[in-house]
Amino acid sequence: MSTLLAASLATLVFCAPGYPGGAGDAQPLVDQFANAAAAAAGWPAGSLAAVYDPTEAGGLAKLGQADAVLTFVPYPFYVEHAAQLHLAPLVQADVADTGPQQRWTLVAKSGRITGPASLSGFTLLSSAGYAPDFVRHSALQGWALPADVKIESTGQVLSALRRAAAGEPVAVLLDQTQAAALASLPFAAELKTVLQSPEMPVALIATVESRVTAARARAMQAGLLKLGHDPGGTDSLGPLRLRGFVPLKLPSPTAP
Amino acid sequence: MITRFCCALLLLTAAACTGHLRPAPPAPGAASPSTAESRSTAELAAAISAAAQRSDNEPDSKIRAELATQAGSDAQACIARDPQAAACLYGRAVALGLSARAHPTRAGEFLNNMLDDLARAESADSHYDEAGPARVRALVLIRAPGWPLGPGDIEAGLVAARRAAALRPLYPPNLLALAEALAKNGDAVGARESYARARDAALALPAAADKDQWLREADQGLQRK
Repeated sequence: MSTLLAASLATLVFCAPGYPGGAGDAQPLVDQFANAAAAAAGWPAGSLAAVYDPTEAGGLAKLGQADAVLTFVPYPFYVEHAAQLHLAPLVQADVADTGPQQRWTLVAKSGRITGPASLSGFTLLSSAGYAPDFVRHSALQGWALPADVKIESTGQVLSALRRAAAGEPVAVLLDQTQAAALASLPFAAELKTVLQSPEMPVALIATVESRVTAARARAMQAGLLKLGHDPGGTDSLGPLRLRGFVPLKLPSPTAP
Repeated sequence: MITRFCCALLLLTAAACTGHLRPAPPAPGAASPSTAESRSTAELAAAISAAAQRSDNEPDSKIRAELATQAGSDAQACIARDPQAAACLYGRAVALGLSARAHPTRAGEFLNNMLDDLARAESADSHYDEAGPARVRALVLIRAPGWPLGPGDIEAGLVAARRAAALRPLYPPNLLALAEALAKNGDAVGARESYARARDAALALPAAADKDQWLREADQGLQRK
C-alpha cells in the first residue's frame, strides 16, 4: 500500500528564490520534465508530478508536504536548507551557457574593500541573499565577515550595482552569468572584483526527507544522468535551458 | 536552468504589457477583405491594437501566436508605408510584445527590439496613444527580468512612468503604471497615492469597459499592503 501511495503521489518541487517568475506558465514545462525523468528512471508513467514555486517560503511549504519526494533547487538553497529538509543530492544540473559548476564573485566600489574587515557596516546584496549560510560559508569561505555585515536578498542586481558604484556601503555577490556581464555596464570601471568563490554546483536535484526508497532514488539518479543523451529527454531539457545532469561534485564542507 | 527558466516566465509577464492601448475598432480581417498593403497607417495601427487586446484575453497559445504573426505583418506594412510615424513604430513595438509572449525562448530579443521601437516612437510623438510609448516602456522595464537576464530596470521604468504621467496626467493607465513602478521601487506611499489618483481619474470618465477595468486595477492596488 505504501509503495502504491509513493508511486502515485510523488512530486518534484522546483524552487528558485531570487529569480521570481509566475508558476502558471511554468506548469507545462515542469510537467514535461517530470514525465521524462520518470520515464528515464523507469518509474511508472504518471507517478511523478511537478510543481514550481519562485519563493523560498513557498518552496519550503511545498517541500514540507508528504508528497514532495524530490526537489530541483539552486545550490544556495541546498546549502541553506539541506540539513533542515534532509536533502540528499542525486545529480547536479548541467546548465546551458553556464555548465554544471559556477563561481560567485563579490564586487564593490573600487578601492573600498581591501579585506574582510573593511566590509564592516556594509550590506551585502545578492540574488542568493536569502541563503546567508551559503553567502558566509560557501561563496565567501575563508573570509570572516564582520558581525555587522547585513546580508540581504535582491532581485534587482542592477540597482545594487548602481548603489555600490555610487559609493554606498554596499557590496554585491554575483553569480557567474551576472559576473560575466559586468563589463557591459557603463559604470563597470567604478567597480572591482574583490573575491571569487571556488567552483560549486549551479543547481541540483535531491531527495527530500528520505520519502523515496533508496532503490527508487538510485533509479532516478541513473535516469537523470542519461536524460541529456536520450532524444526524448533532451526535448524536456531544452525549455528549462538544461543540457542534462552530471554526477555530483560538491565542494568540501566548510566550518560554519 | 532555473534562473533562465524563470527569466522566460518573467519575460512572458513583461510581454503582456500591451494592455491599455487606444481603443480599437473590431478585429481586423473579420469583415474587411482589404490587404495590409492597401490599408492606411491608422487602419494598420488600429488592427495591431485590436490584436493586442484580443491577445490579452486569449487563453489559447496557438491563437495568441496567430495574433502575433498578424500584428507583425501589419506592423511591417505600416513601417513600409510610413517608417517614421509614431503609430507604426509604436505598433511594431506592440507587435513585438505579442511575439515575445508567443515565442518565450526569443522573448529577450523581442523585448529589446520593442524598447528600441518605443524610444523611436516617443521621439516621433511622445503624446501618441496618451503617452503610450513612455507608458508601455515603463511597464516593460518594471516587469521584465532585470540585468543581465533581461531588459528589466525598475529605476529606468520609474523614470519612464513619471514621464508618461507628466505628459497625460489624467489618463488612468499612466497613473496605474506609475503606481506599479513606485511600488516596485519600494515607495508604497507614493504607489497608494498614484493608485488613488488613477481611481479618481477613472471615476471622472464616462462609463466604458476600460473604465471598469482601470477602476478594478486601482482598487486592487489600493488593497495591497
